[in-house]
Order: sequence, then C-alpha cells, then structure tokens
Amino acid sequence: MKKFSEKEKKVLIVGIDGVPYSLLNTYIKKDVMPNLKKILSQGFRLQQMNASIPDISSVSWTSFNTGVNPGEHGIYGFTDLKPDSYSLCFPNSGDVKAPPFWDILGKGNRKTSTLFQTYHPRIIHPYRSIIFNVPHTYPASPMNGILISGFVAIDLKKATFPESVYPYLRSINYLIDVEAEKAKEDKGTFMQSLFECFEVRKKAISHFFAEESWDLFFACITESDRLHHFFFDASEDKNNPYHESFLRFYAELDKFIKYLYDQFIQRYSGKGFFMVLSDHGFAPVRKEVYLNRFLEEQGYLVLKKNGNFYERIEEGTKAFDMDPGRIYLHDHDRYPRGAVRKEERSDLLKEIKDVLRGLKGENGEKIIDRIYEKQEIYNGPYSGIAPDLVCLPNDGHDLKGSLEKREIFGQNIFTGMHTWHDAFCLLPENITFSEKPYIQNLTEFILQYYSE
Amino acid sequence: MDHLTRLENKSIYIIREAYYQFKDIAMLWSVGKDSTTLLWLCRKAFFGHIPFPIIHIDTSYKFPEMYQFRDERAKEWNLHLLIGKNEEKLKGGMGPGQGSKLDCCNELKTNALKMVIKKYNLKAILLGIRRDEHGIRAKERYFSPRDSQFKWDYENQPAELWDQYQSIVEEEEHFRIHPLLHFTEYDIWNYVKRERLPIVPLYFSKNGKRFRSIGCVTCCSPIDSNAQTIDEIVEEIRTSKTSERSGRAQDKENIYTMQKLRALGYM
Repeated sequence: MKKFSEKEKKVLIVGIDGVPYSLLNTYIKKDVMPNLKKILSQGFRLQQMNASIPDISSVSWTSFNTGVNPGEHGIYGFTDLKPDSYSLCFPNSGDVKAPPFWDILGKGNRKTSTLFQTYHPRIIHPYRSIIFNVPHTYPASPMNGILISGFVAIDLKKATFPESVYPYLRSINYLIDVEAEKAKEDKGTFMQSLFECFEVRKKAISHFFAEESWDLFFACITESDRLHHFFFDASEDKNNPYHESFLRFYAELDKFIKYLYDQFIQRYSGKGFFMVLSDHGFAPVRKEVYLNRFLEEQGYLVLKKNGNFYERIEEGTKAFDMDPGRIYLHDHDRYPRGAVRKEERSDLLKEIKDVLRGLKGENGEKIIDRIYEKQEIYNGPYSGIAPDLVCLPNDGHDLKGSLEKREIFGQNIFTGMHTWHDAFCLLPENITFSEKPYIQNLTEFILQYYSE
Repeated sequence: MDHLTRLENKSIYIIREAYYQFKDIAMLWSVGKDSTTLLWLCRKAFFGHIPFPIIHIDTSYKFPEMYQFRDERAKEWNLHLLIGKNEEKLKGGMGPGQGSKLDCCNELKTNALKMVIKKYNLKAILLGIRRDEHGIRAKERYFSPRDSQFKWDYENQPAELWDQYQSIVEEEEHFRIHPLLHFTEYDIWNYVKRERLPIVPLYFSKNGKRFRSIGCVTCCSPIDSNAQTIDEIVEEIRTSKTSERSGRAQDKENIYTMQKLRALGYM
C-alpha cells in the first residue's frame, strides 16, 4: 500500500529563463498575466530570489539542478580555460561534478554531493523524470526517464536521451534555440522567429507532458531570455514599437502555464507539487563595461596583438577577467606565463578590489556593487578552480570579459542585462524562507517532498 | 589490381561522371596535399589538360610557400586558375587578429567561395575531402547536394549503394563532389609517394617540426616530427595515434558553441 501511494507523488516545474521578479509582479498587477494571478490565489506565493553568482544561465540552472553551490558542482560560466593553458573551453554536462536532482530521484548513482548523501537513503523507489530544455544538460546523459538538453546544445541527436524520442522532435522541426545571430540583421524578423520557436517548444512540451508517463516533469522556456536580451526596453515603454509583441509574449506564457497547471491539478487532484522559477532577473542596460580593458589600462593585464582570445596573455599579466565579472589572478603555478607568487596574492587581491571599487561610470556613478573573494561565496571540493574575485555590478552596467575592446565602456545591440538579485520563484505558500533564498536552496524542497 | 590503383580508378570515374553531368563545374584547390592529389587525378582523368577552372580561395593569410607552390604548378600544368577573395572584408581589415576566428573563416573562406560560385554560376564543385578526416565527414556522399543557402542536410541524402550515384541536380541546388572520399590520410601519402607528386615543403620536418595539415599561417601549428622525406612521413602516419587536424584551431562543435555565445553577447 505504501509503495503505491509513494508512486502517486508528482512534481511539475516550469523554468522561465531570465524572468525578473519585479517585472512579473508588475505584469500580474496590470493583468497581463491573469492566469498566474489566479494560481497565486490558490495556495501559492511569489518570492523574490537570488540567482547563482555569477548570474549566468549555465551556472544558475546547474545550481538549481544539483541543489549545491558552484564550489560543489564546479560550473562557473559558459567558458573556462583548460588547465595549465590559455585555451578556451566550454564546460558541458560532463563537467558538472554533482548529480542533478533527477539522478537522485532516479537512483542513478554516478556522482555524489552533500544533497545526494542526505536524500539518497531516503528515496526508496526510483522516480521517472522528464527533463525538457534545461540549460547546461548537453550532451544528454543516460537517466531514468527522458532528457532533451537546452542551451548550449548543438546537435539535437546528442541532446536527446533516449534516442527513441529523437524522430518525434525531428518530425515537428523542433528547435533547440532561436538563431540569436539573426537579431543583428533584422529585429522584426527576429521577433517573429522568437514566437515560432516558442510555438514549437510548447508543442513539444505538451506532447511529452501528455503522452509519456512521469513522476516529475521539468520544462524550461528559453525564449524569455532572448526576448529580454534584445527587447527589454520594450517591456514597459508603450511607445516602443515592440511593446505590444513583448506583452503578447507574456500573455502567451501566462496561458501556457495555466494549461500545464490545469492539466496537472486535474490529473493529480491537487496533491502534486507545483513550482515556477527563473534563473536570474533582467534590467535595462545603459553601458557595457569591459573589465579586461580596465585591467589593461590599470596595468594588470598585458596582451599580445595577435592570437586567439586568452592566448594573447603576456608574461607581465597579474589578472584577467572572464565573462561576466570573474577575475582570475595569473598564478605562476597555474598558468604557463603566470607571474603571481603565492606570497603576493593577498596584497594583490586587496589592491585589485580597491581599483575595481574605484571604477566610475561616465557620470561618476559607481559601477561595481559588490566584490566577493572566492572563499566568501563558494565552498566544496571544486572551489579551488573558482575565480579569485567575482564582481557584481549595479543594474545598468553589464560586465563583459571581451578582450577585443579599446575602450572601457561601450554599447551593443542588447537592451537588457542579467541581474543576480531579482530572479523569482512561485511555490506552495507553506514554504517560507527566513532570508532571501538563492536558487540552489529550492532543490531540497523537491527531494523533501519525495522523501516525506 | 593493387590498392592504390583501385582508389585511383574510382576517383577518376567520379571526376569524369561529374564533368559529364555538369559542364559548369570547377575544382577547389587549397594547395594542401589532398586537393593537390585531387588536382593530379583530374589531370589524369583528362589526359593532362583539365577542361574546367581551378579555384583557390585566398584569405591572403596563407603561407608564402603555398603561394609559391600554387603559382609554379599553375604555370607548369597550364591551369585555368580563378582566385576567390573577399576583397571588401579584407579592405575592412578582417583577419585573425581582429574579431573571432569564426568570423574570419566565415568571411574569408565561406563567403568568398559563395561569391565565386555566384559570379561564375557554378553548378558543381569538386573537393578533396576524405571520410577519415573528421567524424562528420564520414557521413558525406560522393555527390552531395547543397541548397541555395549552402546548407547540407546530412540526414536527408541520396543513398549511394553499389557505386550508383545520384548526380541529377534540382534548381537552386548545387553539388559538392568528393572524388577522394575513400582515401585515408595514409593512402594519400602512399599515393603521393607512388606518383612522385610535388607537395608544399611545409609538410617536411624543419628543426624538429612539420605541418601535418596546412591553411592560414595564424591558425595552423606544426607537430613535433623528424620526418624529412615522404618515406618518413608514410612511416610516421602509419604509427601515429593523434588526429590529423589536431594542429588546427577549433573543432566544429566548439565553433558553433562560440557562435551561439557571441550572439548573446558573451566573449
């Protein structure tokens, strides 16, 4: 009897990439999202939340997926340098050191973490999950259920487990992501393709939601993040030519959440666990800030004229930045041309922090809001590879790690930037926090639900 | 018939079939060992005089040895040589030191080729790619259709069973033809040896290093090697365990990842 009732536990999680708490609140109040408003009156509440640090999708979703901080899961950005070299590499699902919650639930015991050790013994029977379009799960690795990887997935076949679901995805011309390259050419056409991509995403999600059996269903929407990158200026400005389209996107999102929620409630008569969340917020961008150029002007970074990205780093370099505000000291025992000795590290860190704090915008405004040293925010076996400093900017100034800029400040085609302090989650109202949660704090509630 | 002759016969058959089907055809010559082998086979197929143009896509960043080799062979073999250059982007300063390698390759190689194909209204291009070069190339056909956008739909290709080739082209499509598909790197070097084919001297060891694959100066690095003759290269390839293109800058999947990230403002 107990066995049967345990299997009755169902979880539905909807991830919406880059949706800010503040904007969602505004749209609920302004009735752009009437269905979400209704759901909130049925035993749920909206909570502001911190993204991971840094507030990059791959890091933030990995923190949610594993329920641990980057010091334990080992992902700090979309890019890293290969050990003992200056060559760029792109960490993928294979580089995540901690197991995602669906592996803890599915009893696929390949990796371990603090969360795994707590919950693995409490989950008796394996649960089957469908994980759809979640970032940083590429290539898809075997698991108990179905997994279709999200950004940055390249080859759809490698993004699919098991391979038997691939023919369906191909038959509907499924898209992993909208072609953001196209936004440069024509914003109007790009907006149209965003909606097309959203359509095919909804179609595929609805298909697996209805046709497959599962205990946990977790699907992410990526289009919101793309919309915000290129059109965030249209979010509240009625005179912006894309304002109507922006609102229409949120209205459609609202309808889709309602559709999934209603089906879920109907099928499992209200006993299931339902949650919606984003991985970071968004704010209007005024200027991009190229930290490497700043470090260069301050004499901490010396670059060769030619070469491939970080391979241009010269011997005199003391520190460099990787996207967005990850500062690494150029340690002599870590990099081929490294110049920083152990005994000078702490003075150098202090010095660079002071210099960065002094970075002012064109109107004299402070750019950097906070600077953390790695031991302040990361703990776990992989905090050794963490950046030495992580800078968080004030909203409006988007920190960038580009090595190709000649000025400290610049502008691009983007009108929105990520924020770390304004992600959201919608969750059962009996779940409360004594202080503002970080995204990785949510995961434990899923595991708790299954182990109760 | 020995192994190399069998390979040679198959290639010559495909080259002749291609020329019969498409009069608006040209061969792409990168001046490397593979396309120089293809050039040699084209000469053999038409008894010394190739009846179609030879295209060299010139990024202007190739090794000086390559330019010299190109011009010497063009004269010696009386080639109808067309040079494809993206002049506009080159004038704008496009190069490996500026922007990303991906943009550079895209503009100076892919787009330069697109321009040539358009300018001369070509219906088919002969290329010297081989199946063993890279995982994705193993999926190639001898006759490989591309749409007007240059896209290759590798999951929807004509079957090529028992040497039956689909060589009829639809409007708006052009064909890539790969007469060397069945050669391996090891076969190429053995064939170069047998035919006493001239090749660019960069392939031979100098100060303990040689190039195993050549392209633009900035994006190729030499491997450690003491092979100073064709015989020594053949022996080195026979025993080598590293991949041929390991000295090249990036693999395809990384290039796409980079492209995606850059489109969203990273890097």
